[in-house]
Amino acid sequence: MDFSYSPEEEKFREEVRGFFEQEAKCASEAKKEWDSGLGYGPNCWQILQKVGERRWICPTWPKKYGGLDLSYMYRYIIMEQMHYYLNIYSTVGAGMAGPVIMRHGSEMQKNEFLLPIARGEIEFALGYTEPQAGSDLAALMIRAEDKGDHFVINGSKLFNTRVHYAQYHWLGARTKITNPKYKGISLFIVDLKTPGITVAPIWTVGGTRTNEVFYDNVEVSKEALVGEVNRGFYYILEALDYERISTVAGLERDFAEIVEYVKKTGKSRDPLIRQKIAGIAIEIETARLLALKVAWLLNKGQVPNYEAAMLKMLVSETEQNLVNTSMQIFGPYGLIQKGSHWAQFNGKFERNYRDSLEALLTRGTSEIMRNIIAVRRLGLPLH
Amino acid sequence: MDFDLSEFQNMLLDSAKKFLEKEAKNGFRETENTEEGYSLKLWEKIAELGWMGVVFPAQYGGIDGSFLDLVLLVEEMGKRLFTGPFVSTIVSGLSILQYGQKSQKAQILPKMIKGKLILSPALIKPNPILGQTRVEERVKVQAGSYMLSGTRLFVPYAHVADMLVYGANSDREKTLFLVDAKSSNISCEPFDSIGSDKLCEVNFEDVVVPESSILGEMGNGNEITRQMNDWGALLEAAYIVGMLDQVLKMSLEHAREREQFGKKIGSFQAIQHQCANMATDIHQVKYLTYEAAWKLSENLPAKKESSMAKAWASDASRRVCLLGVKIHGGMGVSQEHDMQLYFRRAKACEVAFGDGDFHREIVAQELGC
Repeated sequence: MDFSYSPEEEKFREEVRGFFEQEAKCASEAKKEWDSGLGYGPNCWQILQKVGERRWICPTWPKKYGGLDLSYMYRYIIMEQMHYYLNIYSTVGAGMAGPVIMRHGSEMQKNEFLLPIARGEIEFALGYTEPQAGSDLAALMIRAEDKGDHFVINGSKLFNTRVHYAQYHWLGARTKITNPKYKGISLFIVDLKTPGITVAPIWTVGGTRTNEVFYDNVEVSKEALVGEVNRGFYYILEALDYERISTVAGLERDFAEIVEYVKKTGKSRDPLIRQKIAGIAIEIETARLLALKVAWLLNKGQVPNYEAAMLKMLVSETEQNLVNTSMQIFGPYGLIQKGSHWAQFNGKFERNYRDSLEALLTRGTSEIMRNIIAVRRLGLPLH
Repeated sequence: MDFDLSEFQNMLLDSAKKFLEKEAKNGFRETENTEEGYSLKLWEKIAELGWMGVVFPAQYGGIDGSFLDLVLLVEEMGKRLFTGPFVSTIVSGLSILQYGQKSQKAQILPKMIKGKLILSPALIKPNPILGQTRVEERVKVQAGSYMLSGTRLFVPYAHVADMLVYGANSDREKTLFLVDAKSSNISCEPFDSIGSDKLCEVNFEDVVVPESSILGEMGNGNEITRQMNDWGALLEAAYIVGMLDQVLKMSLEHAREREQFGKKIGSFQAIQHQCANMATDIHQVKYLTYEAAWKLSENLPAKKESSMAKAWASDASRRVCLLGVKIHGGMGVSQEHDMQLYFRRAKACEVAFGDGDFHREIVAQELGC
C-alpha cells in the first residue's frame, strides 16, 4: 500500500499547478463566472481552451483525438488542480459524451466531435431528465420517430443543465415503446441550433441556471444516432458510471479558508468549534482517500463499480457537512448574502449552502447511490 | 499510488485468518467469564507464530515488519474478537524499543516477543470527584531508588501482567517506571466491564523500584505517554475496522436469509441503505487507519492521521454496531447471537486510548487551531 504519488506524477502535479498559477487571472475570472451559476462565460471558454491546448482536458485519450495517452492518475491530478482553481474539473463532453462516442460512435462522429471536445471548443448538455423521468430514467418519453432518412423528435426535457451554452444536446430519446421501458431508448447528438428547439430557464435555489427544453418536430439526420438504435440506455449507464469520479480539492480549498477564519476570529478557542472543525477535516480526508482509490482503480483499468457511487455520495454529503458547519460557525452573519460588508466571505458559503443541495440529486441521488452500493457491492437482492 | 497489499501482507493475513478461524472461533465467549479473560494456550500459539514480534527488530527476535503489517494483523484479530493483552503488551514494548535503555531493551523485548512477558500501561489516575482511592498518591525519592504509591485505573490485564509501565510525577515531572507487576505491594483487581477486556484497578503501596527502572529518562513521561497513546489508538482503530467488517458481514448474511412479508429483508430499501451506510463508514475508517499506518511505516509523522483514524473509528463503531443490532432484530439483542459481543466490545475499543472527542481535539491542534 502506498498513498503517495510517484516522482513523475509529483513533477506533473507541480507542472499543472504552475500552469494555473501562471494563468491566475483568467482562471480566477473563469471561477467567478462558474460560481455565478450562469454557466460557461467567456473566461471559462478561454481557460478550457488553454487547458485543451495542452491536451489536458482528455489526457487519457489517444493523441489523434487530442489526448496524451496518459494513465488515469494523470487525469486525476489535472482534475484536482482544475477543481481547486476553477471549480470546473471536467466537461460533459470529456467525461460522458466523449468516451461513449469513442467506444460506440461512428467514424464520422469520432472525427467530428472528439478533437473539439479535447480542445475545449465544444460542450455537450446532458439530455436525460424529464418531468416523469428522474431516478427512473427509463421512463423517459421524448419520442424520436424514424422517418426513413431522418428522425423527428417531439417532447420535452426538464432540468437539462448547460443547454443554454452548450453546442450539442446529448439526448436520450425513445425510439420504441417497449416493456421493459429501457429497451426502447436511443442516444442522439443534436445540434442545439436545430430549428424547433426551445429553451426556457429554470433557476435553482442556489442561483444556478438549468433549463426546460422543448422539441417541436425537430428533424435530425440519421448520423445523429450514437451507436445502435434502442441500445441507448446501456450507453447512458456506462457513461454515468465513469463520470461519478470526483475530487475534493474544492472542499479542501474552502475548508482551509474556514480554518483560517476560526483562527483569525478567535473562534478556534471554542471547544465546540474545535470539535466541528476537526470532524470536517477528518471527513474530507476520508473522501480524498476514496477519490484516490477510484483513480487508482481506473488507472489499473478496473471499473470502480460501487466505489464511484460511494464517492459521489460521500463528496456531496461531505460538502453538506462543510457548508452546514460553516454556517453554524458564522451564526447570524451567515445569513447575509453578498453585497453587504457584513457578509462573511462575501456570501460565498451562504450561496454554497443553497447551491450544494443540487449535488445530492444530480448525476444520481444519494439514495440511488445507496441502492447501487447495496446491490452491486453488498450483494443484497433487488426489490 | 497503490491500494493493494504486498505479497508478504497477503501471506501474513491468509495464515492469520486460517489460524484464527480454527483456534479462536468462540474465543471471546469462552474466555470472557474466566479469571484471566483470555486463553493462555492461544497466547502461546500466537507467540510461536511470531505475532508479538511483527514490528520489532530481528535482534530481539522480531521480524522487522512495518507498522502497516501490524495494523493489518490486528484488523484480522478484530474480525474474530481475539482477546488478550496484545495491544497493551505491544504498545508497552514499542515504548521500550523507542525510549528504553539498551539494557532494558535487551532484558525485556526478547522475552516479550516469545510471549513470556505480558506488559500493560498503568497511566490513568483516578478522578477524585468520582470515587475514593484507598492509597495516597506519593513518589518518595531515596538514594538510587524510588518508592511509589498510588492508584491507577483502566489498566488492561494488569492482573495477569508481568510488567507495568507506571506513570508518576516526581518533582512535578512525569516519569515512567517499568515495574514488576508481581511485587507483593501491588494489587490488581479486574473490573467487570462491558467489553470484558479485564480493565483493572491497580494499587501501588510503597513499591520500591531502582533508578534503572525508569523508562528512558527522568521527566520524559509526557512525551512517551503521548506516543504510546498514538500507537494504542491506531491499533484500536485497526481492531475496530476488523470488528465492523465482521458486523457488516453478519448483517448481510442475516438480511439475505431472513424473510418477512414474503421477501428477504435484504430487499427492503431501509435495510439496503443501512447496509450501504455501514459499508461507507467502514471504508472511511479503514483507509484513514491504513494511511496513518503507512505513514508510520515510512517513518513519517502520523500524529494527525492516527487521531483522525481513531476519532472516526470510535464513532463509526457505535453507528455500525447499532445498525448491526437493528438489522438482526430480536437476534441482535440475544446473548446467544454473536452480534451483542461485537456491540459490547466495540464500546471498550471506542474509549480505549481516547474516544472520538479526545482525538478530534488532537486533530484540531494539529490543524493549528
